[in-house]
Amino acid sequence: MEAATQEALKKLFESKLNKAMRLYLDTCAHCGLCVEACHVYQAMPETKYTPVGRAEVVRKLFKRYFKMQGKIAPWLGEVIELDDKSVNMAYEAAFSCTGCRRCVTVCPFGIDTQQVMNIAKLLLIGAEKQPQILAMLSDMSIAKGETWKETANDYIAALNNLAPEVEALAPTPPGRPAIPIDVENANVLYVGLSGKHSIVPAAAILNAASENWTISHFEAVNFAAWLGDGEKQRLIAKRIIMEAERLKVKEVAVVECGTATRVLKFMTGSHPFRIVSIVELIARYIEQGRIKVKPGTISGTLTYHDPCQLGRNGGVMEEPRYIIGKLTDKFVELTPNKEANWCCGGGGGLISLGEHEFRMKTGKVKVDQMRASKADTICTACENCHTQLTELNEHYGLGMKVESLTNLVAHALTGFGA
Amino acid sequence: MDPQAVSAASQAVVHTGFALFLDKLYYFIMVPLVYISVIVMIVGIVAKIVSIVRAPIPAFSLKTYPAKKRPFLAALGDTFGMPMIRKEKPLFWFFLMMFHIGIFFLFFGHLDLFPGVNLMPPESRHMIGAGAVGLSVTIPTFYFLFRRFKGQERHISVPSDYLLLLLLLFIFLLGDMISWGNSWTANGFVMTKADFKNYFGILKSFSFVDPRTVLHGSHYHFVVLHVFLAELFMMILPFTKIVHTFFSLPLNLLRRR
Repeated sequence: MEAATQEALKKLFESKLNKAMRLYLDTCAHCGLCVEACHVYQAMPETKYTPVGRAEVVRKLFKRYFKMQGKIAPWLGEVIELDDKSVNMAYEAAFSCTGCRRCVTVCPFGIDTQQVMNIAKLLLIGAEKQPQILAMLSDMSIAKGETWKETANDYIAALNNLAPEVEALAPTPPGRPAIPIDVENANVLYVGLSGKHSIVPAAAILNAASENWTISHFEAVNFAAWLGDGEKQRLIAKRIIMEAERLKVKEVAVVECGTATRVLKFMTGSHPFRIVSIVELIARYIEQGRIKVKPGTISGTLTYHDPCQLGRNGGVMEEPRYIIGKLTDKFVELTPNKEANWCCGGGGGLISLGEHEFRMKTGKVKVDQMRASKADTICTACENCHTQLTELNEHYGLGMKVESLTNLVAHALTGFGA
Repeated sequence: MDPQAVSAASQAVVHTGFALFLDKLYYFIMVPLVYISVIVMIVGIVAKIVSIVRAPIPAFSLKTYPAKKRPFLAALGDTFGMPMIRKEKPLFWFFLMMFHIGIFFLFFGHLDLFPGVNLMPPESRHMIGAGAVGLSVTIPTFYFLFRRFKGQERHISVPSDYLLLLLLLFIFLLGDMISWGNSWTANGFVMTKADFKNYFGILKSFSFVDPRTVLHGSHYHFVVLHVFLAELFMMILPFTKIVHTFFSLPLNLLRRR
């Protein structure tokens, strides 16, 4: 590695050394508590797949370049140099971590490996070794933010084509389109994904609640969050924030996407509007009696997978269970669940990166949970989790049905006009 | 004070050659280096804290859920109760609790040696715990060390982990010998709490008197070694993971707030 590149990487590293990061990098006692908390390690018990093993790649660089110990007695901490080898180690560490933060809950100091991995990811960007798929998808999202007006008419036409499917689930309130767009002063701005599966069920629910809502021109997913590019992450989120400001909405409801929800809700500062997950919104509608669902639409027993970014990292744990309680009385929990739930193995951008073999291996602990539940259907509230669970179901021949919670609710809507 | 509490004074001996060098080295360790190591530790800790306080605040909350109603109390509970360790590895938790409670008493045991402080009765020849406190840190340290020789703990450990534990172990073993073992002679205590109080009196008064005048007998070598290793520990403290002493609470606050 050239000296100039090394210097540039050191500067990038230093730019990430905020209060939390300094504490995380200085304090690890190598107690090993986090080791068995990682689903990747559970499937592939190698040191490099432990949270501490991953963080050590960054920590050893930190010691080498930012601590006296690394200069006078590097052998004490087995420090490593910033070179091609350590960059490759950083890649393996960063992209074998789904950022589920289960390790945070067992670490006696609460060291956040996901955050430490963001340094590794930034070094990869600096060394131009970042996953190109995520970089490209991030750039496309940003470009969409700049050129959305040019494609708006096509998008609106495509939305209009979905109207019959929405109306098959719930009637549209009189005088409104099935999927409204660009509605100023709407109560809710719903941000979906690019597929109709993320739009139709949510639209039906919002219509069933007679909500004054509008759909976003953008998709919620934030590829840059997985890429570890803070600036691009901000730009992607900013498109939606600016749209909400432009339309003067009261609330932004984010599609079933854990990372998008966490980024928008917790990482974009304060706004004149609330940001919630669609799951929170549905729970509120049911609680307020704005929508009704008929129980018994799900055959057999149902279980729920807590998406890490929505549950442990977003606090949405009781709402899905409240909704499920209205849908069926044949609910069984996965064990463990809620904040202790195992990651499905699809987070951290691994779905977008492909990585099928790795994901199928590291999803083993989730498969064991699914099997043990003996449930007929598993539902979740995150697009990535849904994809991963579907693939795990097929790969391991579990014979379960995999559903999205929003979709289950949409197909159980009843009592219109009551 | 009970006259039996203080060991009998021995005749001062004038040394030459290597013995003289050792005398000077011992004196340096027992007096000037104590002040130096305390200063290094304090300056190091302050510098470390300042570097963290001056670093930018994270742009967003790093907390995990479910959110606690009283985040500060929850962080205190995490820090001092270590519930996650109790749940995952109860034996490890038992030794950690034993160790940290022992350290707490160890601190007060040494504070008790300062003139004017009498947590134990002045006539007592024992330090706080009469040796039990020393054992309560020594036994867990053996456990902490041995667990690093197997499984993933071995793979995730770096040389500094072992050296730090060995340093602690030797400090504790020597401390055990001083506080407890030195009473096992045929004539009773070689050095008593009162003797150590006199030594701390020298340090407190900045009189720079040779501690040999108040600490007598062959155990002095072990006292010097104990003090030297403790000084080493104090000087490296701000630069090692022992800083978790100061940062455990702020770290736990990060995940609770």
